[in-house]
Amino acid sequence: MMRRRSILNDEGTSSRVNVTPMIDVVMVLIVFYLLVGQLATDRRARIALPSSATGIEETQRTDPIVIGVTIDGTRSLNGDAIELDRLEAQVSGMLARSPGTPVRVRADKDTPHRFVRPVFNVLRDMGVGKVELVTEQRP
Amino acid sequence: MSDAGLPTRSRPLKQRNIFGNKGRFGPNMTPMVDVVLVILIFFMAATTIVGQEWFLAADLPEQQDESNASSGFDLPTPMVDVELFVEDDRVMARGLGVDVLDLDDAITRIQGMDPTLSDGLILRIGASDDVPYGSIVAIHDAGNAKKMRVAIR
Repeated sequence: MMRRRSILNDEGTSSRVNVTPMIDVVMVLIVFYLLVGQLATDRRARIALPSSATGIEETQRTDPIVIGVTIDGTRSLNGDAIELDRLEAQVSGMLARSPGTPVRVRADKDTPHRFVRPVFNVLRDMGVGKVELVTEQRP
Repeated sequence: MSDAGLPTRSRPLKQRNIFGNKGRFGPNMTPMVDVVLVILIFFMAATTIVGQEWFLAADLPEQQDESNASSGFDLPTPMVDVELFVEDDRVMARGLGVDVLDLDDAITRIQGMDPTLSDGLILRIGASDDVPYGSIVAIHDAGNAKKMRVAIR
């Protein structure tokens, strides 16, 4: 009769696969995803983006200037709340330091145009002829 | 044979836990590994499906004074205007060769344009104060699909 193979080796210790490192790695990954998801939610500041079937995917290496507009008209510049009258000075300063930086508008899909138009007007007055409207990819 | 006359068995009928009580220290980690892997896959899938963003490029043309429009030999830029407004809580559009039409009809009309005509055409979008930004993007998206260059007034 065959002798049943023991899970214990000759020294009496376990020869099973040690899953502890895998659990460590998986736990770290989960914590990473949780943190990134939380940070992304904070940064997006309750903005429900409109969806679009067309668009341009991110290819630029330079960080864009992101102007957010929430449904109640609150405006933000790169995640920090800002008043409209300070927007021009801030954005023009950024563009002076890094000419050619793309300007993106992240506005809520239900934001009335009266809150978004002033942002476009400020950019237009500054000579920014192009703007990128951030949307969510429509599946 | 045993002393009582019963046959002896060299091994039990029911196979015992191969680990027995020897060599097992601590709790069984297998269910936790299963759960953790499922959570990991969920987060990875959620990150992939949700939050994929891209952007639509739009021109912000200078407001032109019609009286200062250039004359001479400049050819007029092929352009189509769409003006969005809200009427009875519905977003309506004016332009595209029609007096007034529903937003969805306007999008359908843009989608039905001849590609040879729409390619390179400038779609200039204007909107009244109460038009939701999503409606502007919807028109923009339709124009973008037809390779129009979109400008927002």
